[in-house]
Amino acid sequence: MGRYFGRKLAIYALTFFVAVTINWLIPRFMPGDPVSRMVARAGMQTPEGVAAMREYYSSLFGFDVPVWQQYLNFWGGLLTGDLGVSLWAFPQPVSSIIVAAVPYTLGLLIPAILLSWWAGNKFGAYAARKKVLDNTVLPIWYVLTATPYMWLAILLAWALGKVAGLFPVGRTFSASLRPEWSWVFVTDLVSHWFLPFLSLFLVAFGGWAIGMRNMVIYELESDYAHYLGALGAPGKLVRRYAFRNAMLPQITGLALQLGVIVGGAVVTEIVFDYRGLGYLVLEAIKSSDFFLLQGIFLFIVIGVLVANFIIDVVYVLVDPRTRAGMGGGA
Amino acid sequence: MRHRSRFLVLLLTAGLTAAACTGADGPNAGSGGDAGGGYPRAETLFTSGTQWGPPSNWNPIMNWTYATGTVGLVYETLFLYDPLTDEYEPWLAESGDWTSDTTYEVTLREGLTWTDGEPITAEDVVFTVELGQIEQVPYHNLWDYLDSAEAVDERTARFTFADPRYQQWANWVYFNPIVPEHLWADKSDEDVTAGANENPVGSGPYLYETHDQDRQVWVRNEDWWAIEALDLDVAPRYVVDLVNTSNEAALGQLLEGNVDLSNNFLPGIASLVDGGYQLHTYFAEPPYMLSANTTWMIPNTTRAPLNDPAFRRALASSVDTATIVNSVYGRIVSAADPTGLLPIWDEYIDRNVVGQHGFSFDTGEAKRLLNQAGYRDTDGDGLVENKDGSPLELTLATPSGWTDWNEAARVIAEGAEAAGINLVSETPADTVVQDMRESGEFDIILDNQRQMDNTPWRYYEYVFGLPVQEQQTTVNYGRYENQRAWDLVNQLDATRIDDLDGMNGIISQLQRIQLTELPIIPLWYNGLWSQANETVWTNWPSAEEGSPGYLPSMWRGYPQRGAIRMLTELRPAEQQ
Amino acid sequence: MSDDPSATKDAFTASGTGREALFFARRNRKLVGGGVVVLVFLLVALTGPWFTTDDPLAYVGPPGAGPSGEFWFGTTTFGQDVLAQFVHGLRATFFVGTVAALIAGVLGMVVGFTAGYRGGLVDEVLTMITNVVLVLPVLAVLMIIAAYLEVRNIEVQALIIGLFSWPWVARAVRAQTLSLRAREFVDLARLSGAPVRRIVFREIAPNMASYLFMVFILLFGGSVLFAATLDFIGLGPTDGVSLGLMLNHAKQWSAMDLGMWWWFVPPGLGITSVVGALYIMNVGLDEVFNPKLRET
Repeated sequence: MGRYFGRKLAIYALTFFVAVTINWLIPRFMPGDPVSRMVARAGMQTPEGVAAMREYYSSLFGFDVPVWQQYLNFWGGLLTGDLGVSLWAFPQPVSSIIVAAVPYTLGLLIPAILLSWWAGNKFGAYAARKKVLDNTVLPIWYVLTATPYMWLAILLAWALGKVAGLFPVGRTFSASLRPEWSWVFVTDLVSHWFLPFLSLFLVAFGGWAIGMRNMVIYELESDYAHYLGALGAPGKLVRRYAFRNAMLPQITGLALQLGVIVGGAVVTEIVFDYRGLGYLVLEAIKSSDFFLLQGIFLFIVIGVLVANFIIDVVYVLVDPRTRAGMGGGA
Repeated sequence: MRHRSRFLVLLLTAGLTAAACTGADGPNAGSGGDAGGGYPRAETLFTSGTQWGPPSNWNPIMNWTYATGTVGLVYETLFLYDPLTDEYEPWLAESGDWTSDTTYEVTLREGLTWTDGEPITAEDVVFTVELGQIEQVPYHNLWDYLDSAEAVDERTARFTFADPRYQQWANWVYFNPIVPEHLWADKSDEDVTAGANENPVGSGPYLYETHDQDRQVWVRNEDWWAIEALDLDVAPRYVVDLVNTSNEAALGQLLEGNVDLSNNFLPGIASLVDGGYQLHTYFAEPPYMLSANTTWMIPNTTRAPLNDPAFRRALASSVDTATIVNSVYGRIVSAADPTGLLPIWDEYIDRNVVGQHGFSFDTGEAKRLLNQAGYRDTDGDGLVENKDGSPLELTLATPSGWTDWNEAARVIAEGAEAAGINLVSETPADTVVQDMRESGEFDIILDNQRQMDNTPWRYYEYVFGLPVQEQQTTVNYGRYENQRAWDLVNQLDATRIDDLDGMNGIISQLQRIQLTELPIIPLWYNGLWSQANETVWTNWPSAEEGSPGYLPSMWRGYPQRGAIRMLTELRPAEQQ
Repeated sequence: MSDDPSATKDAFTASGTGREALFFARRNRKLVGGGVVVLVFLLVALTGPWFTTDDPLAYVGPPGAGPSGEFWFGTTTFGQDVLAQFVHGLRATFFVGTVAALIAGVLGMVVGFTAGYRGGLVDEVLTMITNVVLVLPVLAVLMIIAAYLEVRNIEVQALIIGLFSWPWVARAVRAQTLSLRAREFVDLARLSGAPVRRIVFREIAPNMASYLFMVFILLFGGSVLFAATLDFIGLGPTDGVSLGLMLNHAKQWSAMDLGMWWWFVPPGLGITSVVGALYIMNVGLDEVFNPKLRET
C-alpha cells in the first residue's frame, strides 16, 4: 500500500516538474516580448523614455538576470505563491486574479463532475438491464458524448436563454447586484449558474452512462456472473456484484477525463461569459498575457494532480485487491 | 432510483425558481432589488466598452490603462475640447491665454477644491507639468520646448516656452489632468509612472466607490465645483463601468437593458437599431456612429517594391473600400477621404489637391499604373513581377483575433490580386504584429493610432514623424523619410491655433506630399462605437436638432473631449 | 468516456476469426448505421467543395440571410455561403481527425509495444513517461502551446494534438502486449529464433488489429473534439476554414443575438454526427469482435 502511494506520488511530482518546466520554457522560445508590449502600450515617444521604461519592466518581470537564475526564480516564486504580475490587469499579481476566479470555476466543475458521474453510473447500470430502454436512450447518450461542449452550450444559451428567455445568459451575476449573502443575490447567482452547469453535466453524463452500461454488460456476461447465476444466486445479487466491479474502471475513467472536462468548462465559460478560469484563459490569450496563462496552466495542472491523487485514494478504498505494483485500471 | 430522480427534480426546480425570481433579467429587475444590496437601477448608469481587464490602477498618468473614468470623472483637465464644434471650454481653468509669443498664463476658477477638502492651486498645475520631467511620463517631450513653469499667484500659473509649439500645447491643456501636489509630491518616480494610485483623490463629479474584478463603481460627488460654477450636475448617482469580455457579450447585455451605454464594436448593430430594442445611436442612419479614427494601410517604404510611390499608388487603387464598409462592417463605418483626415477636420482638406492627386478604387487604373511603372506579368500567372523580373510577393499582417481587420485584410488581398499584385493576408498573434510594426519587419500592416483631436498636427506627426529610429514606437511605422514634410509638420506645430489660414497653407503642402507619395493609404474611418439603451436613461447625444451633440463615449481620453457633458445631459426615462 | 480504453478491453480475444466477424459485421445495425453516416459525411467532405465554391470565405450572397433555395444553409453576416464553409470545414475535420489519430495511434503503439515486449528498464522508463503525459491535462497543454505558435495551420494543429493524445493508447497496448507475450504462439516464435521485430509485427500486431482499429476510432473522435475546442477559443488555424472556426466566427459576430441560428447549428451538428456515428460504430465493432455482446 505504502509503495503504491509512494510510486503514484513520484509520478505526480515528476509530472509537476515537467509541467512547470514546459510552462517556463515555452514563452521564452516564442515570439513576442512582454517588455516591448508594455512599453508600446504606454505610447512612449522619446527614446530615453522607452529605454527607461524597458529597464523598469525588465526588472519587474525578472528578465534582467541570467536564464538559469530566471528558472530558479520561477520555482522560488512558485513555491511562495508568487506567479508574477499580470500584463492584462497590470499591476495586479497573477495569483490574486486566479484566486478571485477559481470559486466560480470550481462551483461549476465540482457539481458537474460529481453529479454527472453519479447519475451517469446509475442510469447506465439501469439501462444495461432493460433492453428496451437500452435501445432508446443509448443513441441519445452517444450523441451527447460526441457533442462539443461549446456547441451544446451555445444551443442551450440560444434556446433557453435568448429565445425562451428562461435563464439569463452572460455574466456570473447581474451587473446591478453586489456580491453578498442575500436571497436576491443567491437566486440571481444560481440562475446564471444553471445553464453552464447543465451543458457541462449533459455532455459528461452521456459518457459516464455509456461507460457504465458497457461495463455492466461485460460483467453480466462474464464467467463469474454466469457461475453465480448457475448456483442459483438471485439476479439482484449478481447485478450488485456486476455494478461493484464495473465501478472500478469508471473511477479510473474519472481520473482520465478530468483534463477533458476542465477543457469543457473553459469553453462553456466562454460561451456564457462566466467569469471563471475559462474567461481568464481567453483574456490571457487575447492580450498575450503569458504570466497569467502560465499561472492558470499551473493551477489546472495542480488541480488535476490533486484530483488524481484523491481518486487514487478512493480507488484503494473501494478496491481492496489493489495491487502492490502500479495499480490503476487498464 | 427514486432518490436520484427526486434529487434531479429538486435541482431543476432550484434553477427554474432562481430564473423566475430574477425574471429574464429585465432592465427593471434590479430596481426593486435595492433592498437586496444592488445599485438602484433608476439612478445608476451602466457602461461598457472601455475596460478590457479588471480595473487595476487609478493612475491618471498611465493614460492607456487607468480604470474607466479616472480622468474625467475624478481627475479633471484645465479645458475641455469638443472636436465637433472645435471649441475649448474652460473647465478647471477660468481662462488661458498667450500673454506674449512665448508665455502662456492660465487662471484657475475660484474656490476649487480637491475632494479631500484641500484647495486646488496654481502650484498643483505647475507640479503636474513638472511631472513631465520624469522620462517615463507620456508628456515628457513637453519639456523639449517648455522652458519653465511657475505659479504667479494662488490661481495663476505662467509657462515660458523656449520654442513655442502652440498646437501641442493646446493639446496638452485639454488632454492632461491636473493631480494634487499635496498627495503626489512624495511619490517616487516609479510610483508616479507605474503605481496603482488606489483611492484616487481628484476634483471631478464622481468619487471612487468600489471596484471588483468585473466592474468599477463611481458615486456622485455632491460637492462638485461645477454644480455652483456652471449650474451643471451629473444625472446618474452611480456610474458602474463593466469589464468587457467580448463584444458579443456586451451586445447581449445591451439588448437586455443591463447596460445603458456600450462603447463596444457591435457588428450587426445596424440591423437592430430599428428592431424595437430602444437602441440609440448618434446618427439614425448609416454610418450610425461618429468617426473616431482613420484606418490606414501602412506600406513599409524601406522595402521594394513598396519604396516606389507609383507602386503604392497602384496598391491604393486596388482596394475595394466599399466592400469593406458595406460587407465587413455592415455600414457602421464610412470610407475615408484620400487624405485620411477625419470629418471633423474637413475644413483642412484642400479639395484642389485631392482632386488632382486623390485616388479611388479602380482595378483597371491599378493595372495601368503597374504597367506604366514597369511592373509586368512576365511568367503569365496573372500576377506582376518586380521590375527586375523576380517574383513579387507581399504580406499584409493583421493581429489574429481582430476579426474585423482580418476580414478587411482578406478583402484588400483579393482586390490586390485582381489588380495583379500578389498580396497575402496573414494573421500572426498581435504581439508578433506589434514587434513587426516597431522593428520595421513587415510588408504591409493596418493601423489606426490617431484619434479625433484638436489639431491635424497630431495626424501629420504620425504620418511624417522623424527621425526614424531602430524601434518606431508611436509614429511613422512605414519608416517614410521626407525631411521637407517633417519640417512642414514642425512649422504647423509652431502655428497659432487661431491662425486658420496659416495652418491651411502648410497643411495643403503636406497633403500634396502625402497624396503624391502615399506613405500611408487611408481606407476607412473607424466609428466612435456607441450604442445606448433608452430604457432607463434618455437624452443621449445625437446629431438631431435639440439634443445634446456631445461625444457619446467613456473611452479613455474622451471625457475631456467633451464627453463628460453627456453625463450632465442625461435624463431618467419616464417611469412606466 | 469517449476515449475510455477499458470499454474495448476484451476485444482482441475474439479476433482472428475474420470470416465470422464479417458475417456479424454486416448484420450489426450499429456498425452499419454508424458507418453509413460517417461515409455520407466523408463523401460530402470529399466532393462537396467541387459543388460549392473554391473560396468559402468569398462574399457571394446577401448578408445574414436565412436558408433559402439559393443558399441552403443561409449566409453569414458578411454574405458568405454557410454551406460552402460547412463542406470545406468538414474536410478539415476529417483531416485533423485522421492525421492526429494516426500520429497518436502510431506513437502509442510503438511506446506500448516496446514497453510491453522489452520489459525491464525500458518498460520502467516508458511507463513513467506515459504516466506523466497521461496526467497532464491535454487541453491545457495544447492551449499553452497553440497560444505561442506564431503561425498555425491545420497540419500543425493535427500534429500537436497527436503528440499529446497517445498515452492511454500506449498504456492499453502495453497491457495487451504483456498478456500476448506470455502466450504459446509467441513463445514458439521466439524459440524458433525469430527476430524481435518479426515477432512483434507478424505474431503480436495481427492479434491486436481489431483492437487497434477501435483505438483509431476513439482517437479520431477525441482529436476532432480537441481541434474544435482549440478553434473555438481562437487558437485554431490562422487561415482557412474548419467547423470549430465557424463556431468561433458565429460567436464573435454575435450570431446568437442576431438570431442567425443557421450559422452555428450546422458546424456543431456536423461534428456531433461524425463523432457520434463513429462511437456507435465502435460499439458495433465491439459486439462483432466480442461474441458475448452480440445482440440476439
